[in-house]
Amino acid sequence: MDSAAQLSAPSRWRFYSNIGKRPMPLPLLLAALAVAAFIATPLVYIAYRGAAGGADVWLRLAQTRLAGLMFNTLSLAVAVTGGTLVIGVTLAWLVERTDLPGRTLWRWLLAMPLSIPAFIGAMVHVALWRPRGGMVPQLLSGWLGYPVDTPSPFGFIGAAAMLTLFMYPYVFLLSAAAFRTLHASLEEAARSLGRGPWGALWHVILPALKPGLGAGALLVALDILAEYGTVVLLRYQTFSSAIFLQLSGRYDRSAAAVLSAVLIVLGGALLWGEVKFQGQARFYQMTGSWRPAPPTPLGRWTPLALALVLLVVGMSLVVPVVVLVGWTLQGWLDTSYAASVWRFSAQGVWGYAFNSVWSAGLAAVLAVALSLPVAYLSARYPRRTSQALARLCQVGYALPGVVIALSLILLVNRALPFLYTTPLIVVLAYVLRHMPQAVRSSEAALAQVAPTMEEAARSLGRPPLRAFVNVTLPLILPGLFAGGALVFLTSLKELPATLLLRPAGFDTLSVRVWITASEGVYTQAAPAALLLILCAAAPLYFLLKREMRKRDA
Amino acid sequence: MFRKLHRAVVAFTVVALIITACGTAATPTAQPTAALEPATVAPTLAPTEAPVTGALVVYSGRKEPLIQPVLDAFKAKYPDVEIVLKSGSNSELANALIEEKANPQGDVFITTEVFTVQALYAEGVFENYVSPNAADIPAQYRQVDGGWTGVTARARVIMYNTTLVKPEDAPQSIFDLTDPKWQGQVAAAGSANGSMQAQVAVLRELVGEGATEDWLAGLVANEVTFFDSHTDVRKAVGAGEFKIGLVNHYYYYLQQAEGSPVSVVFPDQGDGQIGVIVNATAAGIVKGGRNPEAAKALVDFLLSGEGQKLFAELNYEYPLVPGVALHPDVQSLDGLRLADVNLAEATVDLDATFDLMEKVGLP
Repeated sequence: MDSAAQLSAPSRWRFYSNIGKRPMPLPLLLAALAVAAFIATPLVYIAYRGAAGGADVWLRLAQTRLAGLMFNTLSLAVAVTGGTLVIGVTLAWLVERTDLPGRTLWRWLLAMPLSIPAFIGAMVHVALWRPRGGMVPQLLSGWLGYPVDTPSPFGFIGAAAMLTLFMYPYVFLLSAAAFRTLHASLEEAARSLGRGPWGALWHVILPALKPGLGAGALLVALDILAEYGTVVLLRYQTFSSAIFLQLSGRYDRSAAAVLSAVLIVLGGALLWGEVKFQGQARFYQMTGSWRPAPPTPLGRWTPLALALVLLVVGMSLVVPVVVLVGWTLQGWLDTSYAASVWRFSAQGVWGYAFNSVWSAGLAAVLAVALSLPVAYLSARYPRRTSQALARLCQVGYALPGVVIALSLILLVNRALPFLYTTPLIVVLAYVLRHMPQAVRSSEAALAQVAPTMEEAARSLGRPPLRAFVNVTLPLILPGLFAGGALVFLTSLKELPATLLLRPAGFDTLSVRVWITASEGVYTQAAPAALLLILCAAAPLYFLLKREMRKRDA
Repeated sequence: MFRKLHRAVVAFTVVALIITACGTAATPTAQPTAALEPATVAPTLAPTEAPVTGALVVYSGRKEPLIQPVLDAFKAKYPDVEIVLKSGSNSELANALIEEKANPQGDVFITTEVFTVQALYAEGVFENYVSPNAADIPAQYRQVDGGWTGVTARARVIMYNTTLVKPEDAPQSIFDLTDPKWQGQVAAAGSANGSMQAQVAVLRELVGEGATEDWLAGLVANEVTFFDSHTDVRKAVGAGEFKIGLVNHYYYYLQQAEGSPVSVVFPDQGDGQIGVIVNATAAGIVKGGRNPEAAKALVDFLLSGEGQKLFAELNYEYPLVPGVALHPDVQSLDGLRLADVNLAEATVDLDATFDLMEKVGLP
């Protein structure tokens, strides 16, 4: 009642001249606080449970598991981050700054693996390369007449290679955008001072890209901390998979909570670094007479560059899709079998697709709606409190799906048991995990709309909320939509939280792919996997199209 | 003035948040108890008389292709029942059941081994129900009060790839798997797998804590690769990725049916050896489930001649109800030396088993 009155009453600080000193409107602050409290609850709870896990549990885990898990997790994170940086930056440079043939096509195809969950890619490559039993070694042995050993997709090297293959697009997209916005004069200055093209790249361009790349790299590292399906398929144990095992093995939550607490600290440290990088990421954006730098001629390096691009597109996009289509067709030929997979009931693949789409869609809408008060406060009233709230809403990046699932199982089932029995608990997990993407998109969208427009509307007598709805909202809608698309895309691909939280009768595409793949029934996993990739490709297409438009503008 | 107020509001909210979180955390959580007795003595359900209709939520740790035909046959018999199947790993579903005790979502839980149902029984998850069809099932494969009932039996065997291992070289005892001669060439299921958990529990009964620990440590030292599921094990052995796998017997038959060059050893048959370890699949009715009538009907069906025959034919399992024929390919357990242990009793002390596996670092 009180807050509603205040929201519609003429603001008393309307006439203040110093915008930076305006006090934050209380209703807005309260809304943002409520969102931040909602986001932070699982984190606080798990941290508490971990700390209260008992000295004996800590001691037992410290003696047996912690060191090994820490080493496994960090070495994988370092390897994949390094791998994605090398591949992502190289490909972005080739596509944006050289005369590589077919650049427009590659720009699209190199980003498309984002629509393939890494664990589905890994499932395909395991079936292909599994030592002796895989399709490739068997085919080769058949042709050559003697057993052929192919490199094993399992273990550290396999996991690092697979995750690099399906995560490089994050770095690729970020660095491609950065390469595009770089001013030609930077490179020209370096060249005129005697640097060759490589020297200019190494000493001038890459350092200029560093903050943006650093942020992208740390996001990849955070994703590795959270990764579940891929590492399990490839038999490599990290914190996430160990927590899942504790959650589902021993009938004891405290060990899982202790491991989660350690993982959260790890993730928190990475996230802190990422936010720092984000803060510096603006210095290379120069205003004034911007013009693109001329592309570097590749010359005799062209075939090698093309081979690299083809290899990456082939392994991360063409091979998985072709194999999945093959399995789907193979399943189709067996008609009784096909009928059971494709039937239009709640248990058929269409029912799973429906579940996936509506839960991810609802999560996207909720995440964007909840992000608005926080983003608005931080964009319009930039000061310590509002910035801190916005940062707090980034914790989802550091909360792997298994950890969110654990906290929701413990919290929701005790406090809100009616929610626990519905698919909404899965939606809740998606919102918590993917909130940062929504907050960032909303902040970016708001930053591009001058507050003066809204203030003009208010000075003409509109109450603040209506001024926002009538003036600002239409302008930021495309940006909000992009944030929603991102949340939708990542929620569709989510596996561990869905696996642990789904109520009976609510299986999503990713869960179905996981269950059938772990039984080794690839012909049954393939249709669901293909549908999942198609569903994810739609928002990805929208996001890429938007990115390309920005470039043309 | 305003800023002070805002700071106060922020500080208050944060403190309130932390207090709320701690308050919630302080509520007692379910602690595993090692007692054989169920948490409360529940009245035993009477055999089903009422019409069987409505939604029946089945939590199943069995592979879907193996349980779906059985559920389809049940549905054919009771067309008014709508079956909602939630598949997952045994332990994953068991943890969900424990978590849902105050708010039960499932009606029937079907597992692939006894260890999990025993844990749930100790947690008081199950409603007692003695199916009329369970009367002839040996007592060691069920809870006598009807807390859970064994459905089929499976033997722990050693399967090997015949192109890589000659029959005369194949290990004849599970204790041979720690022999350095097989270093890095053995696959097995890890500590999250119920069949492996049950094997460890049974070994503790049979040979004692120390010898079991030595065996587990020996497996780890011998670079055995531990998978989450036996399907991975059998496929890896079938493909020749590993020479030897420690599995349940039907995984061998399933892999053989796929045309792989594999053979099997029913281990520890010599004088003074422990004999082959037999585990059972099991089913229990969830206490407080919404459809106890349909749940009882399903358990009855699993233990009926028709249900038992489906398990025997589809999955090469040993029916627990006497008088149901084996699959023709399957070696009978008659005449084999079987491990002399009461499964239901051996799996009571769950914590000791978990502690042991963690102590040796079993993945």
